[in-house]
Amino acid sequence: MDFIIDHLLSLILFIPVAGAVIITLLPKDQVGAIRWVALITTLFPLGLSLVLWTRFDSHAAGFQFVEQAPWFTVINSSYHLGVDGISVVMILLTAILMPLAVLFSFSITEKVKAYMALFLLLGTGMFGVFMTLDLILFFLFWEAGLIPMYFLINIWGSANRQYASFKFFIYTMAGSLGLLLAIQTIGITLGSFDMLNAIEKWPTFAGAIYGIPATTIRAAAFWAFTIAFAIKVPVWPFHTWLPDAHTEAPTAGSMILAGVLLKLGAYGFLRLVLPLYPAEAKFYAGALAFLALMAIVAGALASFGQTDFKRLVAYSSVGHMGFVVLGIAVAAVARDSEIFKGHAIMAANGAVLQMFNHGLSSAGMFLLVGVIYDRTHTRNLNDFGGLFPLAPVYGGILIFTSMASLGLPGLNGFVSEFMVVRGAWPVYTVITAIGMLGLLMTGAYILKGIQKVLHGPVNQRWAGHRLEISRREVIAIAPLLALMLVIGVWPAWLVSVINAAITRMMG
Amino acid sequence: MSSELMTWLIPLPPLLAFFLIVLFTNRSKGLSHTVAIVAIAASWAMSWMIFFRTLEVEHFGQAVIENWVPWLPFGSEEVGTEALAMGVLVDPLTSVTLFFVSLTCFMIFVYSVGYGNWGKPRDLRHDLPGNPPHNGIEPLYSRFFAFLSLFAFGMLLLCVADNLVLLFVGWEIMGLCSYLLIGFWYARQYESPHQITPRQAAVKAFMTTRVGDVLMLLGIVYLYAQTGTLSFREIMYAHEGEMLTKLAATPSYIVGLSVAGLAGLLLFAGAVGKSAQFPLHMWLPDAMEGPTPVSAMIHAATMVSAGVYAMIRLFPLLSAGWHHGDPLTAPMWAMAFIGAFTALFAATIAVAQNDVKKVLAYSTISQLGYMIAALGVGAYIAAAFHLVTHAFFKALLFLGSGSVIHGVEHGMHHAHAEGLDPQDMRNMGGLRAKMPLTFWTFLIGGLALAGFPFVTAGFWSKDAILGGAWEGGYVVVFVTLAATAFLTAFYTMRQISLTFLGEPRTQAAEHASESDPIFRWMLFALVVLAFFAVTAGWAGIPESFPGLGGLPHALGFTANWFHEFVGGALLEHPPAEAFDVVPLATSLVVALGGLLLGWWVYRDIRAGARDPLEAPLGPIYTLLKNKYYLDTGKYRDEATGEYRDNLYQFLFVRPTIWLSETLVSAVVDRGLIDGTLHLIGRVALRLGDIFRNYFDAPVVNGFGDLVAEVVKRFGRNFRVIQTGKVQQYLIVVMAIVIALGVVMFMPGLGR
Amino acid sequence: MIPLSWYLTLAAAVFCVGLYGVLARKNAVAILMGIELMLNAVNINLVAFWHYLTPTLASGQMFAIIVFTVAAAEAAVGLALIISIYRRRNTVVAEEIDLMKW
Repeated sequence: MDFIIDHLLSLILFIPVAGAVIITLLPKDQVGAIRWVALITTLFPLGLSLVLWTRFDSHAAGFQFVEQAPWFTVINSSYHLGVDGISVVMILLTAILMPLAVLFSFSITEKVKAYMALFLLLGTGMFGVFMTLDLILFFLFWEAGLIPMYFLINIWGSANRQYASFKFFIYTMAGSLGLLLAIQTIGITLGSFDMLNAIEKWPTFAGAIYGIPATTIRAAAFWAFTIAFAIKVPVWPFHTWLPDAHTEAPTAGSMILAGVLLKLGAYGFLRLVLPLYPAEAKFYAGALAFLALMAIVAGALASFGQTDFKRLVAYSSVGHMGFVVLGIAVAAVARDSEIFKGHAIMAANGAVLQMFNHGLSSAGMFLLVGVIYDRTHTRNLNDFGGLFPLAPVYGGILIFTSMASLGLPGLNGFVSEFMVVRGAWPVYTVITAIGMLGLLMTGAYILKGIQKVLHGPVNQRWAGHRLEISRREVIAIAPLLALMLVIGVWPAWLVSVINAAITRMMG
Repeated sequence: MSSELMTWLIPLPPLLAFFLIVLFTNRSKGLSHTVAIVAIAASWAMSWMIFFRTLEVEHFGQAVIENWVPWLPFGSEEVGTEALAMGVLVDPLTSVTLFFVSLTCFMIFVYSVGYGNWGKPRDLRHDLPGNPPHNGIEPLYSRFFAFLSLFAFGMLLLCVADNLVLLFVGWEIMGLCSYLLIGFWYARQYESPHQITPRQAAVKAFMTTRVGDVLMLLGIVYLYAQTGTLSFREIMYAHEGEMLTKLAATPSYIVGLSVAGLAGLLLFAGAVGKSAQFPLHMWLPDAMEGPTPVSAMIHAATMVSAGVYAMIRLFPLLSAGWHHGDPLTAPMWAMAFIGAFTALFAATIAVAQNDVKKVLAYSTISQLGYMIAALGVGAYIAAAFHLVTHAFFKALLFLGSGSVIHGVEHGMHHAHAEGLDPQDMRNMGGLRAKMPLTFWTFLIGGLALAGFPFVTAGFWSKDAILGGAWEGGYVVVFVTLAATAFLTAFYTMRQISLTFLGEPRTQAAEHASESDPIFRWMLFALVVLAFFAVTAGWAGIPESFPGLGGLPHALGFTANWFHEFVGGALLEHPPAEAFDVVPLATSLVVALGGLLLGWWVYRDIRAGARDPLEAPLGPIYTLLKNKYYLDTGKYRDEATGEYRDNLYQFLFVRPTIWLSETLVSAVVDRGLIDGTLHLIGRVALRLGDIFRNYFDAPVVNGFGDLVAEVVKRFGRNFRVIQTGKVQQYLIVVMAIVIALGVVMFMPGLGR
Repeated sequence: MIPLSWYLTLAAAVFCVGLYGVLARKNAVAILMGIELMLNAVNINLVAFWHYLTPTLASGQMFAIIVFTVAAAEAAVGLALIISIYRRRNTVVAEEIDLMKW
């Protein structure tokens, strides 16, 4: 037991890889065994994450469950893991979504072995980003998540998958090139790649590097970091890979892509950009807030204009992440101001909570789109109509999840959006006011989805088909529904952890 | 049970009923409606218990029931922030609101049993789910009660909320239920593609109120940012209203407005949406596509009242810095203007409507305008009073209209006249004899709405409003409201005459009846509500009223009961109104005059006859009938027969669709952004090609090939010495040996 | 006494004759004969040097014995090879056996 507690993070990190190895050793026609091994493998990190959650002390300062071991001693990069309030929430989100996505993936029938192995490897990549406290490791896990995702989209995706996977991969990787360079700069300058060390020393570093003054280097590195994370989040206008990738990916891939991978970018902002470049972040926060506004409004407008159900949901992710970015912008600009610090804390709390909430609701929405796509093999909204009597349970769940996505008070989306708006309003009043257009259009596109799919007279094309959601799929989405309701009604259990970490971070 | 605990429990039974019905009792219609009705009855019982308990408390306005818990952690003590708290509050306003809300909801639940054709078998051939039933039981019966229960939860939550966030939660949940219930018959189609279907009306309702809601959210957020709390008591009462004075004195982002003013205006925007005031009024008439109990509950008695309730609740904030006799604050001015305007505007439209429910819908908009205008001129008590009485008689009228519609449908079935619109008043007439109980209760409701003197609740509350406007000296508002009252009486009597009086104009009306057992449920609710439509007003008779001033006391209340009780909710107790004969005389004249005129013009309309107003009003009549074109969707141009856009469709809906489908998706995202990416991709490809074709292939590859070629040539040329013939090899050996020998042994040759 | 140089001349002459036979004769057996002549010429040389320069040491005699032992063995093997080649290619003309050409 002690061993487990002492190495909790490492276990969470590497159990998926171990599962992937086991799966590669299984014969490829034992599809049932492969699926169940994959599912059980994802349940271990879930259980361990719950242990992590219960044992996490939100009142203690600094990182907990720290593990450090020498790795690349020559360049001073160690195997350094640790969690604080923000990481723990993200790890919990990933751990919850993985088993549900795997459970939904039971409907994949081709090349199941490769699929499950890739999926588990993806899991390790994601966990790694959230846990690591070393810059080289951060980059390693950051990139490691890309390759399985590329293959997942490329092999098991739908019609336009070649284009979408290629675009996703190259776009994200192009962004991270600057990230790698900047990380190298930091490591060489400071002599160590440790994140905590960098956060302490990098913002005030005053020497010259290869003859160039530190301020210039820092500005360049800031942009390198920002662009890498901005592409991932995605910040408008770097968002165009998202609709293609989300739409063409297989359902479970979309769930994880929207649910977790987008959060990697936002997490990068909070964990790295804000602490390492406080002055630059503050200077450019206004621009970031403007881009967030564009994401909120343009994302919602674009979503409303789609005829492909999955693309509609994909664009909604752009809009929701816009709120996260707005919260981050407020945190960047206001964290050291005495008057506005409260607003910064509220906005940052809202941003992190929105990351968690959006993970739940968008994963749920993609799952539901996947349910209907599996049965009708079309995603065109105009092909549906009047499906409510044919699939009443599905309809009810769709309405519930849609309302969470829309931000109906009483469900989780409202709490985080309220917090972000509350934090942003005193700091960026005009932007927040215009952002309400986005909230308005959010209602429009959600209702459009519901109306086109469920309402109206029954579309005779589907009259005899079995469209109702299956029990396995209900089990896959049920935890998300429960969480959406619980967080909406009583968010304190989650917000207190986030709040403690953010308050400490803001100083 | 302690009052605090009971208050927490009041909204819960319907919520529990919702989950039980959705998850478990869905299949059984009887079990579902039992669960729902038991739940709402429990809430009703607890609400009335709280109400009667509060009656006994002296100065209840100061000794309110309140209880809260920390809900959203925020910051820490070191930073100077504290968690946002959520809780319940029962002050005098809440108390009377709970009284009428719980009762009307309860009655509507009971009514819905009959309305849903309980007791009839399920007609699988004709009644498809998602369409209104013909004669069988409503196919989605359980779902109806589930949604009604969820709605009741939302409304009760809003009533007992002690802070703006919880109020907003209840507000939005009701918005959701409104959407779900208006679009209850989601599969319903009409022949004309331009007639709004229930599902479209649902979206319209949701989106229009959402405009108000997002502005309200900004107001809430603004208030929270400025005060650090959202609790009503803390903002408006704590420390003698100190926070309000501060808010009224601090300037906001907009020049000329204080924080209280801007926040108040933003919050009022929410009420404009929710209570269907101009310019966000157009969703309410189309919300009549929902089943009639929905229209009654949501769109008459409760949800739309929620907007007014919120404004009454927030009155201290909206009137921060104002005292009787001062010039109105910005929010009050907005309320007075919009309220009075909407009241008159909607009343004029109601005059030209032919659908029985649409008349009532516009009437609701108009009456809500009354209440808002009352608040705008500072007549707090009058607004609250009208809120209470209006709920009763409007719910009564809607339920009555539902009964009428059911009766006419019955008649249609008997007369085999299936193609008729059972809601069109031109197809009715003479129902007084066919549906007597419906007639009498409807008449009571109608008279209350019109303000028939003394024996109807509506009279007392309307008189209070007119009195408040007159007393404050707001002549324009007074005249507008008086004109509205006249029109109200007129169209009410028009409606009653067309529907119930005269001779039946169609066979359906001839065969209408209320003898079917389903009517028992409906008539029960009607009678109960009629009772309150008559008596509820008596609790509010001002003490100064000549003759009848002592009636509340005689009934067991204290003198001037409503005024004293509800007035206690404010920090500054409003002064008791002196009696003035002008408003009273005006009320009497307009009410009786309007009723008389309406009866006289419409008492004997024959089948197929044109509306008597059409000729004298001419083009104005068309304008009124088409709702001044202030709507989304299209209207039919009578002259050309084609359909044209209404104003909001042209100004708002079309541009939004264009923005979404064309500008953002196609032009910006695919064209500009993706275009740039694809351009970068193509450039990179070109560069790669050039590099490959002009450098990599010729130079690097070429060099490697060159080396290989040289070696090959040399080898080919040199191999000829291998002839395979031994003797020639031996000759070569010999030659080399001799050469070596010469080199090694010949003296003189360098070693 | 016969001078040493006469023996050496004789050995050289025999060697050249043998060399000529190896290089110019067509028949493979004749080439072998030429090789034998060369070997024997070497033997004459060896014995002559032995007798005239170091008559007491046995190494000269030993060397000569080794040489003609090897010559005998080599003749046997050579003839065996020629017979084997004849059986395959039906010829003993050296010029026609040129498979190891480039």
